[in-house]
Amino acid sequence: MSDPLVLELREQFATPEQQRHTSSIGIWLFLMTEVMMFGGLFVAYTVYRFNHPQAFAQGSAEMDIVLGSINSAILLTSSLTMGLAEFSAKFGRVRLSGILLFTTILIGLAFLGIKFTEYYEHYQQHEAPGVWFNHVGPHAPEVQMFFVFYFLMTGLHAVHMSIGILLLLGLIARNMVGSFSAAYHTPITVVGLYWHFVDIVWIFLYVIFYLPGLHK
Amino acid sequence: MSGPSRKTYFLTYVGLLGLLLVNTLIAFVNLGWFSTVIAIGLATIMACLVAGILMHGFYEAKIVQIIIAGGVIFFLIMMSLTMNDYFTRGWLPFHTP
Repeated sequence: MSDPLVLELREQFATPEQQRHTSSIGIWLFLMTEVMMFGGLFVAYTVYRFNHPQAFAQGSAEMDIVLGSINSAILLTSSLTMGLAEFSAKFGRVRLSGILLFTTILIGLAFLGIKFTEYYEHYQQHEAPGVWFNHVGPHAPEVQMFFVFYFLMTGLHAVHMSIGILLLLGLIARNMVGSFSAAYHTPITVVGLYWHFVDIVWIFLYVIFYLPGLHK
Repeated sequence: MSGPSRKTYFLTYVGLLGLLLVNTLIAFVNLGWFSTVIAIGLATIMACLVAGILMHGFYEAKIVQIIIAGGVIFFLIMMSLTMNDYFTRGWLPFHTP
């Protein structure tokens, strides 16, 4: 089999380290644009919550804290397996790395499964915004805004998770044809950074959507 | 580039789960607006652990750390200037027609 390092070192780079460093800068720049995209939504949420604190606490009280907490733990676990996949690849244990990448996908799918179960529960309880929304009380329109943010932000997060799972599938395919080695595993690092970033976004989503309703 | 050891990965994971548990349990106590401050504070510590250790932010080159700091600072500027506007509305005796 050809040496993966020779196969993957692009001509514009002098050394593998320079290539890895450039990839690292590139993905971090991309992730910072993601910070600004999610950041805009976090700012909008903060403005609405500042103006309607009672309604947002009321909306948050409708969240399933058990499912939310389990999902948070699940996502943190997926970050561990992703980190270990990269760690294994770094030391040339590419087979183990592939198994860990596959485990990360399964955990990611479990997260999405629980998330969509929650969505369905909200839909059944008439909490999905729009024509399905049916909430009685003095703050009904503001509670609906809470759910607009909830579905928009967690939905965007779920889209990112789905993209991450597709990227992980691509990594597994490349791993199976022997593209990675101890010397070259930059794609695993780059996708790992993306996956961990999506994890960070969830940490804050959990805090702003699930926790405020607990001490109502 | 050096990076975290396997032990560091596991310790970080345990730390993250611990912080998640603490954050959830504290949220059951009503501390007014301070509840939000604590929740966001603990979430920020968790985010720093993920970004610093799992994403190797602590081990990366200076240029990468500057990029991370730049993203965070610009987010904080966006948040603080917007909230500054909403907090201070009505402070000055300007009347809209």
